[in-house]
Formats: sequence, structure tokens, C-alpha cells
Amino acid sequence: MALPYEFDYAKPASLQDVLVLLAEKGRGARILAGGTDLANELKQGFRVPDVLIDIKGLAELQKIEIRDQRLSIGALVTFSDIRLSGVIRDHAYVLYEAAGLVASPGVRNRATMVGNICSAVACMDSASPLLVHNAMVHCLSMEGERLVPVQKWFVDNRKTLIKEKELVTHVSIPLSSVKCAGAYQKMMRYTGEDLAAANVGVLLFADGRCHVAFGSVGPTPKRSAKLESHFKTKGVNKGSIEEACAMLPGIIKPISDVRASKEYRMHMTKVMLERAVIQAIDRLKVPTLIRG
Amino acid sequence: MEKLKYVGQSSVRIDGKEKVSGAALFTDDLEFGPDLLYAEIVEGPHAHAMINSIDTSEAENIPEVLCVVTGKDFPYNFGLYMKDRFIFAQDRVRFFGEQIAAVVARTPEAAKKAAKLVRVNYSPLPKVLSPVDAVKKDADLIHPDLKHYEHVPWFFPKPDSNIAHHRKIRKGDVEKGFAEADYVLDDTYEVPRYAHCAIEYHAAVAKYDHSGRLTVWASSQSPHTQRNLFASALAPMGITHNDVRVIAPHVGGGFGSKAGVTMEIIAAAIATKVKGHPVKVLWNREREFYNTYQRLGVTANLKVGVKKDGRITALHHELYWDAGAYVEYGANVVNAVGLSAIGPYRVDNASIDSYCVYTNLPPGGPYRGFGYSEFLFGLESHMERIARHLGIDPVEIRRRNAIKAGDLTAYGARMNPNGLQQAIDAVEKEIRWEKKLVSKDPDIAIGKGFSLFWKAPAMPPNTSSSCFLKFNEDASVNLLVSGMDIGQGFLTVMAQIAAEVLSVPVFKIRTENPDTDRNPYEWQTVASHVTWGCGNAVKLAAVDARNQILALVSRTHYFPVETLFLEDEQVKCMTRPDFSLPLKDFVIAGIQMEDGTFKGGPIIGRGVFMPEYASTKANPETSQGGHPNVHYTVGAAAAIIEIDRRTGKVKVKKIVEAVDCGKAINPDLVKGQITGGILQGISTVLYEEMKFDHRAKMLNPNFTDYKIPTSLDLPDEVVPIIIEVPEPDGPYGARGMGEHTMIPVAPMIANAIEDALGIRIRSMPITSEKICLAILDRQKND
Amino acid sequence: MKKISFSLNGEQRFVYITPNEILLDVLRYKMGTKSPKCGCDTGDCGACTILLNGKAVRSCLIFAVEVESQDIVTLEGISRDGLTPLQKALIEHNAFQCGYCAPGMILSATELINSNPHPGEEEIKEAISGNLCRCTGYQPVIDAIKHATKKH
Ligand code: FES
Ligand code: FES
Repeated sequence: MALPYEFDYAKPASLQDVLVLLAEKGRGARILAGGTDLANELKQGFRVPDVLIDIKGLAELQKIEIRDQRLSIGALVTFSDIRLSGVIRDHAYVLYEAAGLVASPGVRNRATMVGNICSAVACMDSASPLLVHNAMVHCLSMEGERLVPVQKWFVDNRKTLIKEKELVTHVSIPLSSVKCAGAYQKMMRYTGEDLAAANVGVLLFADGRCHVAFGSVGPTPKRSAKLESHFKTKGVNKGSIEEACAMLPGIIKPISDVRASKEYRMHMTKVMLERAVIQAIDRLKVPTLIRG
Repeated sequence: MEKLKYVGQSSVRIDGKEKVSGAALFTDDLEFGPDLLYAEIVEGPHAHAMINSIDTSEAENIPEVLCVVTGKDFPYNFGLYMKDRFIFAQDRVRFFGEQIAAVVARTPEAAKKAAKLVRVNYSPLPKVLSPVDAVKKDADLIHPDLKHYEHVPWFFPKPDSNIAHHRKIRKGDVEKGFAEADYVLDDTYEVPRYAHCAIEYHAAVAKYDHSGRLTVWASSQSPHTQRNLFASALAPMGITHNDVRVIAPHVGGGFGSKAGVTMEIIAAAIATKVKGHPVKVLWNREREFYNTYQRLGVTANLKVGVKKDGRITALHHELYWDAGAYVEYGANVVNAVGLSAIGPYRVDNASIDSYCVYTNLPPGGPYRGFGYSEFLFGLESHMERIARHLGIDPVEIRRRNAIKAGDLTAYGARMNPNGLQQAIDAVEKEIRWEKKLVSKDPDIAIGKGFSLFWKAPAMPPNTSSSCFLKFNEDASVNLLVSGMDIGQGFLTVMAQIAAEVLSVPVFKIRTENPDTDRNPYEWQTVASHVTWGCGNAVKLAAVDARNQILALVSRTHYFPVETLFLEDEQVKCMTRPDFSLPLKDFVIAGIQMEDGTFKGGPIIGRGVFMPEYASTKANPETSQGGHPNVHYTVGAAAAIIEIDRRTGKVKVKKIVEAVDCGKAINPDLVKGQITGGILQGISTVLYEEMKFDHRAKMLNPNFTDYKIPTSLDLPDEVVPIIIEVPEPDGPYGARGMGEHTMIPVAPMIANAIEDALGIRIRSMPITSEKICLAILDRQKND
Repeated sequence: MKKISFSLNGEQRFVYITPNEILLDVLRYKMGTKSPKCGCDTGDCGACTILLNGKAVRSCLIFAVEVESQDIVTLEGISRDGLTPLQKALIEHNAFQCGYCAPGMILSATELINSNPHPGEEEIKEAISGNLCRCTGYQPVIDAIKHATKKH
């Protein structure tokens, strides 16, 4: 059955054509990559476009590559691609781990990470990893490229800093010169596919820095400067982890909804934070290539 | 014991090839050509409201819309046990999402668009959402006309109340029993509503042709019951049973949701308004949750008196069922539990009050287990509590009280032969009950839980099954029955039974889901009764065919009929080892005599089965005197679980379940029911949870937030155990077991949780959140 | 209306569609390919799984316009030249009950086997974890896949 709204479809053959079309259609255009979120949104009548711009014809957006000491992940890279990428495993392990917990293989085969942060639903899995990896979002328009640190990217549930007429071409992550290790913890109602009721990303550096990010416990995913400076001053150890957990009520603002109560979310975030940091400590001890 | 060749074998399913090749067609896979119309439902956005007016004019003006129908077009009641339901809401809506009208159009898009334009004006009424509130004196009435509804004679509605039925048991002397007890323990247990979640939606296509023939294709567990209900509901339009034909393709899962009649009647009714066109009504996942049946919720007050040695002296069970807006089928769940809520125990003094209560929530109805999962959650949790209180081993206390053949059931009839003791012993041994397990990880708590179960088919006493069996030229067979293979493997089992009697290999027997015009009567595929009931009919039909074969050979070859038998698709003779006559030589063509004439003709068997000893005639104040249940199937189960004390997450390590199915006609299929039923049980206790908002609108009618298990959520190990104490009137001793397998799971997991943590949770579901918050609560209070 | 053409089960096919049509519906109602089923229409159940360029994906989340020039295989395509060892093992194990989840489940397993001919139990569970089955408890399906892929 056709959706009860009509729209056009375009599949430009070049990046330039995408930008031209975007410039022309503005708000009326929506970008179609994997489409897994988009199809559901359109079925619900959410943000119905005049035209869908399918970017799957653009080979340059499919790349995972290292350029200028940055790991770049193109807009067409799916979560399955991430799971198969040794480069991502080696340099952005938190993201690699999170990708394995996104929905199910049949969705991961199609859903893209960039799509995930563009839909920006509060329970998304990519945000916390990208936050701890200090990722940068690359937005392109006829006016040129605009870089947005992922820390600033999320404005509200389903709202980002993307501008009309812009396309996110890729996300880039700086390679760390310091050895580091990370972990991703996701609160799910069971082991099978579930949307995160809360999630925690942790990236621990050999020099003692520890990046911590939370998802699904507020309207937007967030790094916590407070916790990071706590770890910086106290070091990362059993005691400081416990203190960090005790600080959480002042840092995150979980709500109650169909997936969990705020009390359980709060408690689970503490447990996940503790477990993620301990995992990161253990992983940092492993003398392998794994950095991220 | 006779030696069996086909019965008792794990044959592969006769529909296996169809299902793995994509050949199997389900209702929505059928083609109806370019004249097919589509109906879209208009739903009411109130849980309880009067309908003041419905304006369909705008919708009717949409291009490609043929008509809009409303309750006015079909002022008829229908229902299986009580006629309290309507095809479309009449003057009021009683649950959020109830159907008010339907738009019929050339395309689904047009129907959808127009449905949004039907304007309905409502006056909201106070809503009643819990059975405990609904039985209060001043509660608003959901069905003011209750006293006028037709119902089966064994229902006892209370006029001018929300109580649609009250099943009462009074057995022995309960007061005396409690007085004799050393301890009396009582508690309240709560089980909420659940959804079936068959993966295929309900779907129905109906066509009322110009000759007055009404044909309905539907995803159904109950083709003949549907024919009956369509014909009786639409009788005012001049439609008779003879005019109605129901055709049932493959069914993508039932679990009770596709029993009786729900949305199918909408298709049937609409078809009468668009004569000559097939019209399709296809449900979607959301409606699948809130507008078919839901499993009833229950609040159960349970009081049990015991001696120091654990012997039960008295039991009082009071159950308030949240039966929803319409109870035409659900009231029989309440009835079934009313008759059986002593559990698989010998209880000399018992009183049971099982109340069927109307609420402004979706209609409650049959769901795998038919109420037994619900009341046994309480009873088997309570047995554990009693055992702990007395310091008796939980298995031992069950063993001491377990019902035996010949004991009196709650309604005073004798318990059938059964292997409950064997089941307890086998499970206890396999789970290594005596061995205490401790985890090395301090965050992990390990627990073991045990539970018994029982269940009887809940059926009218005159429930019947029948079978036609016809031979083809090559001695292959067509078996015509009207039970439904809803996945359980019914058709394979029927083929095995016929194969056994006729000595024809299973793969030469073709049997498919029915067409009510061609296949003989079957009540419904519910109650786990078809292996037993329809199996008997098939066996009788096969014996009938065999008798015809042997008589024919006797009369043409002059052997005494008692010396003849069937083996390897041939007729053989005990006294003449050299004689053999292949069936294919004569089952159609007949046998030629010396004078050139032929004797015989096509062999066609007929079998009919009705349990002629069943009766619901009893004293309504005590329920003593009748024989409402034909037999009980019993069993035992145990689980080992691990709980993460920090998160409350439960991991099921091992489950052992023993079920006494009398005779496993196909052991592999029995095991399949165990594996599947256990996971469904795990899911109801650990994961599934319906949420409603303040308007009584379901908040999570989707698989995103109503979680059913995936392949990553299995127990590490499931050990199925088959016990076979034959059922005297079952085919080869078989009795049903399909529903039963999920029944013990919820209480045994609850018991294992208590064993692991010392925390007793008395309400389902027991999600990780609930466990975790209970642990935190305890820490706070310590 | 837009004409799109693509390979469906090895045959070049075309169909007229509008951009707002979902691939699952087009396959089922316009092209007669009935094995992909609908069980949720939101990407949660996997009944609509097809192979798109060899990858198991959910056809209820794909617009038909997107598959121009692509390669699609459904269970009909898998069965065309006789049953595969996987399908035979599924029959032998009585792996399915109602069979509604079977088409999706088999295609997810097919993708797995094509990329990993001898998967371990955990890999099997992971591969079919997006295909909901309410009947079987999954174990018979997992056993059948294991059997079909074990090393000889
Ligand atoms: S119908 Fe596509 S995933 Fe359920
Ligand atoms: S066999 Fe019924 S859903 Fe899988």
C-alpha cells in the first residue's frame, strides 16, 4: 500500500547535484540513505518531504578511511560495515561495540551511522560513542563545508544543528596519539534487539583522561565535564568510580516512559557507568592495537 | 500392547516442504482479482462513551469509496458463549479503539483517507478499568442490557452489575477444613493482560455473491464456529448456514487469538453490502494488540489451610477477572478456572469464586493456557510460600498433595489416570533439585524453582469432531477434517493416526486446512483437544475404511474377515501367508470376480466423536453433580536461573519440563510444543508488559515496546520429558498438551527468583526493573 | 508513475510505481511474490526479510524506487532449483510450526551461510535475532541451521 502522502524521488549521480537539489528544495527535501528511520517516520506522517534525495549513488560517501590523522566515516556507511571494519575496531572501539547492539542484523545491513545521528532520536546508539571519541560532523552545502563538533550537534530529541540545504557527508574522529580503550553499555529490556533505555560510553586514556557520555537519560546525549574532571583529579579507580556513580543524580535527568521508570534508569546508569569504566580499565591493560 | 509403526514416530511434518519453500499461502497471500475491495475501520477514541451521531457524508464523497457502514446497518449481537458483542458499536463504545464504522473502497489508500473523514460525536462516560472497582456497588454499568443477553445455560450473569458470570465451587466443608489447619496462609496475586503476538495479523476476505452465497477466507482457528456465528448473527438478513462457506488457508500462529470470531465478522457483514465483490479486511500490528482478544487479567485472593506435614486441609480461591468490554468468549476462561482453581492437588474442602467482570479495556478472550497460567501463577507461588513456612521441601509438599487418579476434582468427578507423580520424580532428578548452586561471581545469584501444572480442555459438553477419509487410485488417502494446523502439527498427527490404522505411509496421506463446504464438522481448534477429539474421529474413520476393505476382501476371496489384516499397503491373511492384495488394486476400482463383475467401489471412511459422558448440568451454587471437563493433562517443571543482583536481569540456565500427554503420537512435535511454550511462558513472566495511558489507550501496541523474545533470549538448555500414562478414551491413549507447556513457567521462575534472592514478587510481569527495584528497596530497609 | 526494473529471483522484471510505495507491498501485491510477509510494518519482526544484493534487509523499510537496477532474492528464488541443504535440514528438524516467520528466517540464515559457511551457535543466534518467531522457541531452527552447516 502506498503511503498516504505523495513526494518525488531523486537519485543524483554526483555530490554537486545533491547540493544543487538541496539548495533548490530546502526544507522540502529529505535525504535518503539507509531509510530505516525515514520509512518509519514517513509511515507516521512525520516530516513528509516534497522530494526524497537518495544519496546511495555516491560512492565517495561509502568510505571508511584515515586521512590527516582522522578516521572518517561516510554517510553511507552502515552499522554492518562498521562491524566489519578493522580500522574502526582499532580506532573507535566504543563505536564498534555500540554498532553491534543497534537493532538487528537485517536493520544494521541498511541503517547508517550518519542517519542515526541525523534522526537524533534520544535513544540512538551512535551518539555516546561519537561523543567520547570527540567526533566532528561534516556538513556540506553550496556554501561549502561546515564543521560541527558532535558535542554541539544535538539540540533536542530529533533536533540537530543541521541547516536547511546541508548534507552530512561524513563524521570524522581524531586518532589518539595516546593509548586508549573504551566501552559501551546499553540498558535493554532483554538481550535481543531493543532501543536503549539508557546508554553509557566511556573512553579511557593511558594518560589518565576519561571521557564519559550518556544517552537516553535526557533530551540529548551528553558528555559530562563534571565527571571527566572528577576522574582527572581523583584518578580512575574503585573509589573514584563509586564517587562518580554517586554524583550521577546531579548530572543526568532520566524520565519515566514505557521503557523504564526514572528510578531504574538512574540506577542502571550508575551500574553501567561503573561497568563501562572497569571494562575500559581492563581493556587498556591489553597490549593490543585496540585504541579507541 | 499392539506394535505401532507410525504412531509414536517423530515423522517430519507433512507441511514442512510447503513452509520452507515459500509455497505456503496465508490469507493475505490469496489473490482475488481486480474487483477486490478494501475496508478500513473507523475506531472510537474513548474507552467508554455514548455515540450521539455519526456523519459519513464527507467520507462517502471521496472518489473510489463505495460505501460506509456503521452499527445501524448491523443491529445484531453475536458471541460464542454469550451474545454481548456487536459487529460495529451500536449506541456506545466500550474500549479505546473499538470499531464504529468501516469505509469500503476500491483501494486501501482511498479507504484510509475516507475513514479519517467519518465524523462521530460522543458523550464520554466514566470508565471502569479494574475488576475490583467494577464490582463495587455504585460502579457504572458497562452493559446495562446484560440481563437480556442470550448465553449458554451454565453461565450465571448478575443483572444490573458488571459481573457477566460467577462460577462457584463449594466442595466439602471449607470452614471445618480451615479450622483443622495448623496454618492458614493467604495472599493476593496479580496477573495483568497479555497479547498473543502471532506474527501473522488477522485477515479476512469475504464475498457475498449475487446468488446469496457468503464465502469467507480467514486466518482462523475455528472455521465451523465462524460459519455458525456468521449464519446466526446475519440470520435477520436471510442468511442460513447453508449459504455460508468458510475457507481457512494456512494460519500464521493463533495461541487463541484466532479462535471464535473477532474481526472476521466485519468482513462477512460488509460483504453483504457490496454484493458481488470480494472485500478484504486486514488488521495491522497495533489492532492486533488492542482489537482482537487479549489474555484476561486477574486479581486472585488465595487462602490455603495446611497441616504441619504440608497436607492441604482447605482452599479458598477468589478470582476477579478483568474480562474487558465484551466477554462472549472470555467468560468461559473464567468458568474454566472456576472449575479447576484447586490446581493439580487433592483438596477435600474447597471454595472457589471466579468472577467475570466487565471493564472498559479491550475484550478478553482465549489465550494459550485458558486461565490456568493466570491462576497457577498464584497457586504455585503460594505452594512455595507454604513449603518455606513449614520448612518442607517445595517438591515434597507438592508430591504429598498431588492429585491421583480417582481423587475427586473440585466439581466432584473422578480424576483421570495420570502421570503426575512420575513427572515430579523425573523433573526433580533431571534438574538435580537437591544440589544447591552458588555462583563465583558475587553479582550473580542462582535460584531454582519448581511448579506443577494441569489443564483440562474447556469445551461445551457436546463438542464434537468428525472425519471423512477417502482413498485414491494409488491407495493414497485424502483425510478431510476441520481441525486447524495452526503450527502445532495437528495435520501431521492426524495423518499418523490414519497411517497406523491403514498401514499406509504418512507421506501418502494428504490432509489440509479445511473448507467448511467440503470438510466435515469440527467445533474449533482450541482447548488442546484436537489430537484427542479429532484424533478419535480420524481413527474411527480409518477403522471404518479398514472394515470396508476387509469385508470386501472377505466377501470376494472367501476368507473369514477376522483372519484378514492390513500391512504395508496390502491386505494379508493370518492363515494364508502367501496371500496379499495391494490396496491400490481395488480401493477405487473394486475387485473383479470370476464372472467379470466388480464388487466394492471407492472406499470412504467416516468417523464421528463426541464425549458422551460430559455434562455441565450441576448445582449452580456448588458446581457439584456434572462432568464438565473430559480430563486433565498434568505435568511438572523446574528451572535454574541466574540473576544479576545489580541490574535485576534474569538469565534462564536450564528448564526441565515433563508433560503427560498420554501417548506422544509424534514425540518431536510434542517436544516442539514444549520448547515453544516454555519461551512464551518465559516471555510473559520476564518481558511482556502492556501499558495504558489515562484514556485507557494502549501505549505500546508494537514490537518495539511490547517485547517478545528473540533468538538471543533463550534458556541455555531445555530438557523436555514425555510421560505416557494413557488416556482411556484418547486415540492410542493420547491427550492434548499444546497449551500446557507454558503454564508452569511463570510461577517456577517467580519461585526461582525467591530462591535466589529471598524476594517474593506477587505480580506479573517480573521484569528486571521490578526485581532490581525490589532489591534496592530491601537494601534501603536493611 | 515511474517504471523501475530490477532483478527479482534471477529474472529481470519491471513495474510501475510511485515513490511513496513500500517495497514489501510492491513485491506482494504488484509482482505476485508472496513469500515476504508482513508482521509489523515497522522493522521489528523480520518477516519481510529479502536479500538485496546478497544482504538480508527489511523490505517494509525500503521504498520500491530504491531498488532500481538492484538484485533481489526472496524465498521463491531460493527454492527455484530445488531445496537447499538448509531447507532440507529445516524440514528434518520440524523447525517451523506455523511457518509465517520461515521466509524471513531462511533468508537471514542464507546471508549468514553465504558469508560464513560453518557458523557457531552464537553466530547463528545473532544472524536470526531480528526474525521474531512466536511458535518454536527458536531452538529447532538453530539446530537445523547448525546441522546444515556443520563441517563434514
Ligand atoms: S514487516 Fe518488516 S520487519 Fe516486520
Ligand atoms: S513458526 Fe510460527 S512464527 Fe515462527
